[in-house]
Amino acid sequence: MRDSFAGLHPALTFSYFVCMIACSMLVMHPIAQAIALVGAFSYSVLVKGAKALKFSFIYLLPMLLIMAVMNPAFNHQGVTILFYLKSGNPVTLESILYGVAAAVMFITMILWFSCYNAVMTSDKFIYLFGKVIPALSLVLSMVLRFVPRYIEQIKAISHAQRCIGRDMTQGNLWSRAKNGINILSMMTTWALENGMETADSMKSRGYGLPGRTTFSIFRFDGRDGILLGIMGLLAAIMGAGIMSGTVSMRFFPSIKLAPVTVWSMAVYAAYALLCMLPVIINLQEAWKWKRIESKM
Amino acid sequence: MEAYRVENVSFSYPLQERKALVGLDLAIRSGEFVTLCGQSGSGKSTLLRQFKTILTPHGKRDGMIYFQGEPLSSLEQRRQASEIGFVQQNPDNQLVTDKVWHELAFGLESLGCDQRTIRLRVAEMASFFGIQSWFHKRVAELSGGQKQLLNLAGVMAMQPSVLILDEPTSQLDPIAAQEFLDTLRRINRDLGTTIILSEHRLEEVLPLTERLIVMDQGRIIADAPPAQAGAALAEMNHPMFAAMPSAMQIARVVHPESGVVYPLTINEGRNWINKWMKDKAPAQLSDQSAVDASPVRSVVELRDVWFRYDKLAPDTIKDLSLTVKEGEWYCIVGGNGTGKTTALSLIGGTQLPYRGKVLVNGKDIQKQGLKERFHRNLGILPQNPQHLFLKKTVELDLLEMLADSELGKEERQHKVEDVILLAELESVRHMHPYDLSGGEQQRAALAKILLMEPRILLLDEPTKGLDAFFKVKLARLLSNLTRQGVTIVMVSHDIEFCARHADSCALFFDGSVVTTNRTRAFFAGNSFYTTAANRMARHFCPEAITTEDVARLCQSSH
Repeated sequence: MRDSFAGLHPALTFSYFVCMIACSMLVMHPIAQAIALVGAFSYSVLVKGAKALKFSFIYLLPMLLIMAVMNPAFNHQGVTILFYLKSGNPVTLESILYGVAAAVMFITMILWFSCYNAVMTSDKFIYLFGKVIPALSLVLSMVLRFVPRYIEQIKAISHAQRCIGRDMTQGNLWSRAKNGINILSMMTTWALENGMETADSMKSRGYGLPGRTTFSIFRFDGRDGILLGIMGLLAAIMGAGIMSGTVSMRFFPSIKLAPVTVWSMAVYAAYALLCMLPVIINLQEAWKWKRIESKM
Repeated sequence: MEAYRVENVSFSYPLQERKALVGLDLAIRSGEFVTLCGQSGSGKSTLLRQFKTILTPHGKRDGMIYFQGEPLSSLEQRRQASEIGFVQQNPDNQLVTDKVWHELAFGLESLGCDQRTIRLRVAEMASFFGIQSWFHKRVAELSGGQKQLLNLAGVMAMQPSVLILDEPTSQLDPIAAQEFLDTLRRINRDLGTTIILSEHRLEEVLPLTERLIVMDQGRIIADAPPAQAGAALAEMNHPMFAAMPSAMQIARVVHPESGVVYPLTINEGRNWINKWMKDKAPAQLSDQSAVDASPVRSVVELRDVWFRYDKLAPDTIKDLSLTVKEGEWYCIVGGNGTGKTTALSLIGGTQLPYRGKVLVNGKDIQKQGLKERFHRNLGILPQNPQHLFLKKTVELDLLEMLADSELGKEERQHKVEDVILLAELESVRHMHPYDLSGGEQQRAALAKILLMEPRILLLDEPTKGLDAFFKVKLARLLSNLTRQGVTIVMVSHDIEFCARHADSCALFFDGSVVTTNRTRAFFAGNSFYTTAANRMARHFCPEAITTEDVARLCQSSH
């Protein structure tokens, strides 16, 4: 499906993901963790569909269970002893819960990163970093053009070599190595020779003149501004919550949760809104379309 | 107004005695469409590169070049960058960035335009060239024709007043080339941009051209509207006349007297022939290529072959059956993406069919080991000959090919000498393979393959980017081989070449062979997919497929 969160300005998307990954690293309070997990999971399903579901259940769920079991096997801190292992070490409630919390944190981060990968395409990344270091944006763009091209060339060359009976995948180690080096040598000559033409094409289009600018197809519009404001406000509330210890949590020696107050409720609400922001934006868009279609 | 004025310009490359350009004088009006032609090495590229100082090769130059009345050498680089657009031969090498939109903006970024200007210009160019639908794509996803159009658009975005193109369509298939040339015509007609173009495809280009400049050994030997320039070449009896459109060649043979206005396009050619044949009974062409009735062994056989690249992908090859006889020159023609190249790689055994059988020399290709497959059996010439070159000189490169053989040193040298002679590489044997021209590279690569003594040659578009002379040389080499009993299976877009040289042709469409026949019968049976000469004369005699045939037809009709 079309992801309308991905249509936002790259600066917004990038800072959102930085913010979310930082929050999920810093906060271990179960309520906050649950919120982040739900947010990350629902957005990843929205972006990648059934593939995300499959990924979550085949890889992430087993990982969660393994980490929850592994931690108490090695970590014996905590006061609530459940039973003793054969080695004589105690298994404590605190270490089990800590293992679960760490696993949830880990999984949430993986989910956020997978969303980041799907949303922050190379051109967005190039655009953002080109703003900081202009020369870098062209270099990155050229790397993205030439690395796949070279790989393709190497394939074509080794294919051509196989057609004259020189195969890198067959024969003894010596002839294989020789063929491999030959292919590399051909590749180098090819790259240098053809690079000359690329250089000509760049020079001919004025590359190297002083005062180069960087063009991008992204525009920071009013909607981006409003959303940036909302995101900033929500992130600020969450930040204040983290600083003031409202969402903190202690595992060892005994479990101690920060008490639930009106302020902490507000922080959770802000965090929930923040985590669900991409989903909310998508839902709102979908709802708008429904309304427009019904009017047509 | 004048776009360029060239006054007595000579140029020689460093360490070379011979001048690449000799005392040229030339004036190009603004808004003109000029085509430059000549054999490879006649100085076309060298001349084109004089028109933009940043691309001018090192060497010694005399004389003056003026751009819009000002000496080019004192023209600011910034103005040269934007006012003089330059498009080169290879579509891939000219693309710098990874996205289409970025490529369009590249030149404007260099000029330091602001966001709003770039946005507008990029939008204009995308609309003019019809790029909207692939504007957001990665350049790697584009076809060759699209890439070259993008190169053109990227240059046009800088709003040049002159556009210089160095053999821009040589790497494109005929349909993409036609589209590219049509776009050039639109640019010239609608935007008034001066166009200076060097080309081999004169059949398609000349109808668009106002002025044809023919170069030979660094000199201009003809400079006139195409028909007159052609007539001048005919009068000089110059070999370059062989590259002129079919209509002109037929008219010349039939009507050798001077002072004739030669036809250019197929339509003009047809009218010309109609006029000539008026009140004459069309003669019958005696078929010289009588079919040899003796049974010949079939060396390549495909039986009901099905193939797809991926389990879920659509079938690329569908129910393909074909048979190639020993010593036959077999051409597979057809549009882009119909599976021709795939069929070739199935014969070569580099792809595996999921149904059906591929027999080479009566034995399943997959059951033949590498040694059996490629030694005195199959030889495969890749589309890009550069993929075979390894050493510093052509000779060393050929010797390297025999490195694994059990032959003695002298025998090896002897074999290499033979193949150099056969492939006419004598003059370039000490040069680096990359410094050869396209046609020479093609022959050097072929020579490498020939050292393996193949009995069956698989060629993938061997005439791509070659000029008329190199095509003749290649054809001579290949027909020599067929006379020695070598079988040639060739995939090509070049109908004229196939019609002239092949024994049999097959039309490929939608993953399979639609029709196969002896070459003459094949083209006589097609009404659209046929040679230019045949299109002009088929209503008199469908069997006349080459210019020689048609000329013979005209001459023998009374």
